[in-house]
Amino acid sequence: MRLTSVLSVPFAMVGRRTLDIATEMGGMTLMAGAILRRLFPPRVDGAELMRNLYNVGVKSFPIILVTGVFVGAIMVIQAGLYVEKYEATGFIGWGAGFATLREVSPIMIALMFNGRVGAKNTAEIGTMKVTEQVDALRTLAIDPVSYLIMPRFIAMVVMMTLLVVVGDATALIGGAFTSQFLLGVDVQLFFRSFVDLIHLEDFLLGVYKAITFGIAVGVVSCHFGITVTGGAVGVGRAVNDSVVASAIWIFVLNYVVTTLII
Amino acid sequence: MSAHPPHKPNVLELFLAALGSPFVIVGEQFREIFKVFGLTVQYALHGRRRWKEVWLQAYRIGNESLVFIVCVAGSLGVTLVYQAGLQAERIIGDLTPLGGLYLQILLREFGPTITALMISTRVGTGIAAEIGSMVVTEQVDALQMSGAHPVEYLVVPRFWASVVMVFCLTCVSVLVSWLAGLLTALLAFGVSPYTFATLSFVIPGDVILLLMKTTAYGIAIPIVAGASGLSAHGGSEGVGWATTQSVVNCSLAVLFLDVLLSGFGYLVLLR
Amino acid sequence: MSAASKQVTHVEVPRDGVRIRCQGVSKYYRRTAVLDAVDLEVRDGTMLGLIGPGAAGKSLLVKIICGLVAPDEGHVFIDDIDVTRLRERELQALRMRLGMVFQNYALFDFMNVGENIALPLRMEGRSSETSIRNRVAEVLEQVALPGIQDKMPRELSGGMKKRVSFVRAVVRRPPIVIYDDPTGGLDPVTSAKIFRLLSDMKAQGTTSITISHDLDGIRPLCDQWLLIEHGKTLFSGDTSAIDQCETPYVRQFWRGEPA
Repeated sequence: MRLTSVLSVPFAMVGRRTLDIATEMGGMTLMAGAILRRLFPPRVDGAELMRNLYNVGVKSFPIILVTGVFVGAIMVIQAGLYVEKYEATGFIGWGAGFATLREVSPIMIALMFNGRVGAKNTAEIGTMKVTEQVDALRTLAIDPVSYLIMPRFIAMVVMMTLLVVVGDATALIGGAFTSQFLLGVDVQLFFRSFVDLIHLEDFLLGVYKAITFGIAVGVVSCHFGITVTGGAVGVGRAVNDSVVASAIWIFVLNYVVTTLII
Repeated sequence: MSAHPPHKPNVLELFLAALGSPFVIVGEQFREIFKVFGLTVQYALHGRRRWKEVWLQAYRIGNESLVFIVCVAGSLGVTLVYQAGLQAERIIGDLTPLGGLYLQILLREFGPTITALMISTRVGTGIAAEIGSMVVTEQVDALQMSGAHPVEYLVVPRFWASVVMVFCLTCVSVLVSWLAGLLTALLAFGVSPYTFATLSFVIPGDVILLLMKTTAYGIAIPIVAGASGLSAHGGSEGVGWATTQSVVNCSLAVLFLDVLLSGFGYLVLLR
Repeated sequence: MSAASKQVTHVEVPRDGVRIRCQGVSKYYRRTAVLDAVDLEVRDGTMLGLIGPGAAGKSLLVKIICGLVAPDEGHVFIDDIDVTRLRERELQALRMRLGMVFQNYALFDFMNVGENIALPLRMEGRSSETSIRNRVAEVLEQVALPGIQDKMPRELSGGMKKRVSFVRAVVRRPPIVIYDDPTGGLDPVTSAKIFRLLSDMKAQGTTSITISHDLDGIRPLCDQWLLIEHGKTLFSGDTSAIDQCETPYVRQFWRGEPA
């Protein structure tokens, strides 16, 4: 009896985890469905949308700038090691730019966006939920999805795309400066190799990724926000779950988009 | 303090206030983080040792993030090798150095940094949410009334646990990414595992840099997250604020340390 | 241990008998005073009733007294030691003689009841594990909650949580105890039980400050009263003085009359 109960522990754990994951996946699908239904025809509160575009986009701007500069610097340092080894300074702009535009910049910007916007979104919707503000909306015959979630979702998708473009640009500028001052490679040379060897599709791949990341962060953070229970502790836990789920989606979608488009 | 009539700011004052306020906020957060850092170091060296609690926290960090990190490292490995392989095929036409170079860049950059960013997301928010909820429910006050210092009691065990576990999880993450890369190279480009699995590019500097990075991240994450949690105030809004703050600050701290240490590695270690 | 912390651990009732004294304590939040030059004195073995409407600054004031929040102006003396000048280590030592029951219980939700109550004793570092366990069982028995050591706080009812929080505050037998709304949100029967505990503590000679909205409950217990509103002192004095006070707001508050 005892032995069997000990043996069943790992199975119980796996089972519970699977059920949890299935529940969350189902919740996210429902959320995506609810959002999709309200997109055709679009049912969005205009003023709310503008306010959210501002909150999501403009307020994340400084963090994205800092992240972009860091990413550019890191990539140039890493590329610099190889460039020096093979004495191919002419390729530094390509080496750093290629990886930045296609992979690193979208992922890093998305992770920061997830932390800044996704987490905040879950926290805000979650706080409204635990303080019964969402129920109050319902009793006023206002659809919480149209009023609360749609503007946030649209703002996140739009701004994620634009912020990745901004992040790409700052990463390149940061990279160019790093290569000038740390590696002693001229900025002109950096950008010449970049312009010669980078194609539009490298940049577009990053943008496509950004759109899917925006959708993922939007759906996930709204889902975890609207399903919060259990007061302040519950809000903290939901934010934690939300950023983790979004991060997994970001990496999985990164893989999917990369293989689909190439 | 009370007799002043309310002063209406003019446009210039509003502009200056808007310009200065980010610096004030950032400065305050820096001060808070360095205060917690100082206290953590002080209590970590001189305070009570609670190894059981450290062990528990280490278990929680590992248990919470292992599956997560395996997922992320796996998909990252596949994507990186796929992209790099395509480029190498197109430009050099030779895929033999792929495995060695991939392992090297994994050790230098993507292994420690991506893992640390994931731990910031998973563990950093967890710490901030936990400590933040304790602050807003007055549990931290109660702790102080019991005679325990919140930094000593809450942050220090997480600090030791994180220093060890960031390293361990980075090893796992590097291993998983490398295996995923190996499989991708084999299945997508037909690179034999014997060619892929080579240590010929790895130099001692790479390993030293990896150790330095994981230690720095391991120190930074619990301190930045703990500082965010301890500065929570208000109800559930405060907890949400602290958690958000924690992800952003931890990630920025990781990136900043990465720039610093990579630059150091470039100038000193990897010549 | 430094000379200062030795002074802090050495317990002696001051000669004038005033164990808690606040002088001109003020706290500002964005230029508005949340506490405006509050004075108070609590003598040895007496209880001060701290009353006032919601958000008047009562909880903040007791947190300042415990050294959990630093005031912007003024001083707090506990047994003639200036709390506002102590460093964290000395504050920890001083808090050994303070107990506090928090408004929202503030039970550690990651510990069971027994560990919650044992923590103050462990931090004191004077007792063995066995004597801690015995002491925990003993105090739980005193509040009629025997044998709940292994329960987690979330499994308890509001009244039980309040009693556990009370027990955790007094387990070290501190000479000074602060009760922040000890009966808030409780039914009358449970409230009566809590008030009996407060009166027992007073009979044993503890000095205390009680924040409460249940004036009928604390009227027989308190010797001194302090009524604050928006951080300003509206009344300070003993029970007979507040009975005779003619200020309209104080009268209204004290007798619970509608405006």
